[in-house]
Amino acid sequence: MSSVAVGILSGVLMGIVFGFALEKSRVFEPGMIVGQMQLRNWIMLKVFLSAVATGAVVLAFLHGFGFAKLQPKAALYAADIVGGLILGAGIALAGACPGTTLAQIGVGYRDAIFTLLGGLSGAVAFSYAQPWLAKSLISSGPKLIFTELVGIPYWQGALALAAVIIVILFLIERLRPWRADLGSNFDGNVSGKASPRDRLAPAE
Amino acid sequence: MSLSDKAWSPYAAGIVIGMLQIPAFLLIETALGASSSYVTAGAALVGLVDPSLLQIDYVARHVAANAKNLWQVALVMGIALGAFASMKLSGAVRASVSPIWTTALGSSSRPLRYAVAFVAGFLMLFGARIADGCTSGHGLSGMAQLSVGSTVAVAAMFAGGIVTALLLLRRV
Repeated sequence: MSSVAVGILSGVLMGIVFGFALEKSRVFEPGMIVGQMQLRNWIMLKVFLSAVATGAVVLAFLHGFGFAKLQPKAALYAADIVGGLILGAGIALAGACPGTTLAQIGVGYRDAIFTLLGGLSGAVAFSYAQPWLAKSLISSGPKLIFTELVGIPYWQGALALAAVIIVILFLIERLRPWRADLGSNFDGNVSGKASPRDRLAPAE
Repeated sequence: MSLSDKAWSPYAAGIVIGMLQIPAFLLIETALGASSSYVTAGAALVGLVDPSLLQIDYVARHVAANAKNLWQVALVMGIALGAFASMKLSGAVRASVSPIWTTALGSSSRPLRYAVAFVAGFLMLFGARIADGCTSGHGLSGMAQLSVGSTVAVAAMFAGGIVTALLLLRRV
């Protein structure tokens, strides 16, 4: 099989697992994402940090035993900050991020189609502006990772990060159990402000 | 924990997502990410009308029909399929727009929500491409790799999201 065919096939299969986990965790719900940004719903941070810790452990082994090379992005501080702020504003107003937008489309959220169209437009607008932005704002930088700064092997730092995250998650879970953030319809709508009809409305 | 559950623990789901780094690094030699697929798909479409777009190096790199580019487009399409399958298996029925938007926007107008969603999507991808990554590429993958730049980007993402949600959206 050609490498392109392997790429497409593995992409679809991995995406199905990814989308399944996003839906089951409920993190793709606008209620969860807006709630997280309003600091009253913690499901998004819990899913996110669990995935980061798992990825760190996995990569500590894959990299430590020489099965994989790390692929860190270059540190471009101005671009990381400006881009990150704009991206964050978009995430709050979309109630989604670039990946979860597709999960929202999968479950039939109609506004997510507009998020997707806006996203494609934003990506194209950036593409037109890229030659200019690359020279001004984005520039170039080193592919820097924290363990290089302190001079220890990556696997040690990765396992330490995972350990710290596990402690943080235990503390957050004690303060705010995850079931309390689900809402009666599992969509993070815990305010009870919506009418019962809204909450049980069938797909139109 | 079964495939027909309405909800899994966020920890279980996070572990499943983190495990996806294994095939990503071993099969595709890349890390999980989502936002560059928007360049691949968007620029390929617009390139049909304006071929000069495809002359930009950045665009040419993203629309090249190689394993990495097409893998990510397939990944995000798979996300829609997986979420659909999970919803069907759990028997969940969803409204066509989340009820939280009526509260958050202070209006039940559909055109208003659609307009906000379009602008939000635009900001998301314009910002993600400036930063060279999104919640997946910088967040899940960059932080797991202890990337300094990704950690800065994730802090900015949450800062931008929190300020926007507190200033522009009503408490849901």
